[in-house]
Amino acid sequence: MLRRLATSPPGAKGNSARQSALPIRIWRAKWLYLALLTPVALLLIFEWLPAFSALYNSLYIWNGGKVHFYVGLEHYERMLSDRTFRVAITNLVGFVFFRVIMQTVLPFFAAEMIINLRSQRWSYWWKIIFVFPMVVPTILNYLIWRFIYNPQVGLLNEGLKLVGLGEYTHAWLGDPLTVMWALAFVRFPWLPTLQFLIILGGLQTIPQEVHESAAIDGAGFWRRLFYIDIPMTRRQITLAMILTMLFMTQRFDLFLVMTDGGPGYSSMVPALQLYQSAFHFLEFGYASAIGVVLFVAMLSLTVINLRVSAGAAND
Amino acid sequence: MLTRKRLRLGNRDLPFQLVLFAFGIVTFFPLVLVVITSFKSNTQFYHNFWLPELPLHLGNYRSAFRIIWRFILNSVIYSGSTICLIAAIASVAGYVFARFRFPFKTVLFLGFITLIMVPGVLTLAPRFVLVRDLGMVNTPFALISVWVSGGLVLSTWLMRSYFESLPQELFDAAYVDGAAEWQVFLYVSVPLARPMIATVAMTTLIGTWNDLIWPLVTITDKSQMPLALGLMQFSSDFETDWGTLFAGYVISSIPLLCVFAVAMRQFISGLTSGSIKA
Repeated sequence: MLRRLATSPPGAKGNSARQSALPIRIWRAKWLYLALLTPVALLLIFEWLPAFSALYNSLYIWNGGKVHFYVGLEHYERMLSDRTFRVAITNLVGFVFFRVIMQTVLPFFAAEMIINLRSQRWSYWWKIIFVFPMVVPTILNYLIWRFIYNPQVGLLNEGLKLVGLGEYTHAWLGDPLTVMWALAFVRFPWLPTLQFLIILGGLQTIPQEVHESAAIDGAGFWRRLFYIDIPMTRRQITLAMILTMLFMTQRFDLFLVMTDGGPGYSSMVPALQLYQSAFHFLEFGYASAIGVVLFVAMLSLTVINLRVSAGAAND
Repeated sequence: MLTRKRLRLGNRDLPFQLVLFAFGIVTFFPLVLVVITSFKSNTQFYHNFWLPELPLHLGNYRSAFRIIWRFILNSVIYSGSTICLIAAIASVAGYVFARFRFPFKTVLFLGFITLIMVPGVLTLAPRFVLVRDLGMVNTPFALISVWVSGGLVLSTWLMRSYFESLPQELFDAAYVDGAAEWQVFLYVSVPLARPMIATVAMTTLIGTWNDLIWPLVTITDKSQMPLALGLMQFSSDFETDWGTLFAGYVISSIPLLCVFAVAMRQFISGLTSGSIKA
């Protein structure tokens, strides 16, 4: 007999379960375990095993094969004195900071304008129009922006020449001074789809009456923005920020495709360094240690962010 | 008083419309330029950067398609099988977690959802070693197995909450009619969960279609490459043949464009609901 969750009468929760001994209950649920066998096995093998392997191997020198010996916390110490890693962390902090602001402010204003339209039909079409760029595969975003920054025939340089600012043309990705800025503006006028939809969803849940009464009280666009819309969508804004932060910290395909960390190390980020350590230099131990540091950083940033927003909401 | 306010609100749209319009133009400008350039020969492109020019070079599309179709087909196969497997496995697992009580249920479920906090970058290197040692490098299994297990984490959670939200009376009615558990699952629960399954399918499609890093480390054989990786290869092979390059870009955007056109609503809700519940 399978024990269905909700068929036991309310209040008797757990009573029937206590009647028989654990082995018997396990035996009774054998079909359920069988049904869960595939997903549990998959997660154990392809998720849990690599995760623990990363923790464990961050204490070893490991080439991914036979070379494997214990070095304790040496990789973590090495990170402290690794100049590349220091550049990578500095780049990442600046990059994430900039992207979090850009990827929150931009979609927020777009969403704000769209829900402010009185024409529902236009609202709907603008929403579609700004979501549209997501049909372009992610890698093409990078490749198109690589074309935009191309020093010989790039869109940006050609545009500068067209408006008579030809002396400002530049090898945007080839100069250590501009490369991080160029990367920060990849996909720039395009809205981040997910963040845009989340914030739009939040703004749409604000009841029409609130806006109407605010308008009657004479609140203009900016007043309404700061006293109604931003406070009432704080949860969605926080979520959008956390998502941007987590994406940007662990996704390095942007850097890999656009510059591969160059010129020199000037656009290196930790996740890309992890990738290069493992797959170019076969330092799987060091790569794992970088992974552990990133994991801890992302976890604590998420917790802090949630705490802060929960605290602000309680005030 | 009120009517005057109404009137003023009436053309309130105009400034917003103007800003949105400008914003729309800068959004679409790079895409339009890519499409225009895809019809040009290199001489036309260097000679006239901005404007379309006759004759149209449709041959660009022919030579790009000859290379890109393989990558698209691969991606359809890989993403398609991943979606089917995730939908099947996550429905069953979600149903079991939602409808039954059994020993170690909480522990098992925590084993699923705590993985949400484990970033892919932590597991990248050791997972590669694992997949390599299992002999799956350069086979579709390297992609599908890892994509399925990665996708199961969120999907199982979504399916579980959906099945939990279905009313108990529904199941009681089915049991009274003498339906066996598997019949209740297959003929009552799964059809009702179609919207959530569509959401799971969309999330999986976007995630796998755009994944670059995992194919990059596991697939080196050109004929096996999925679209994202294939495009990277294609872009370095045709680096200075701009027309063909951009024709390839246009072609490779078509599959998701079709999905978008057919299932826009699902597309949008699929993106948001997954993360809003998280």
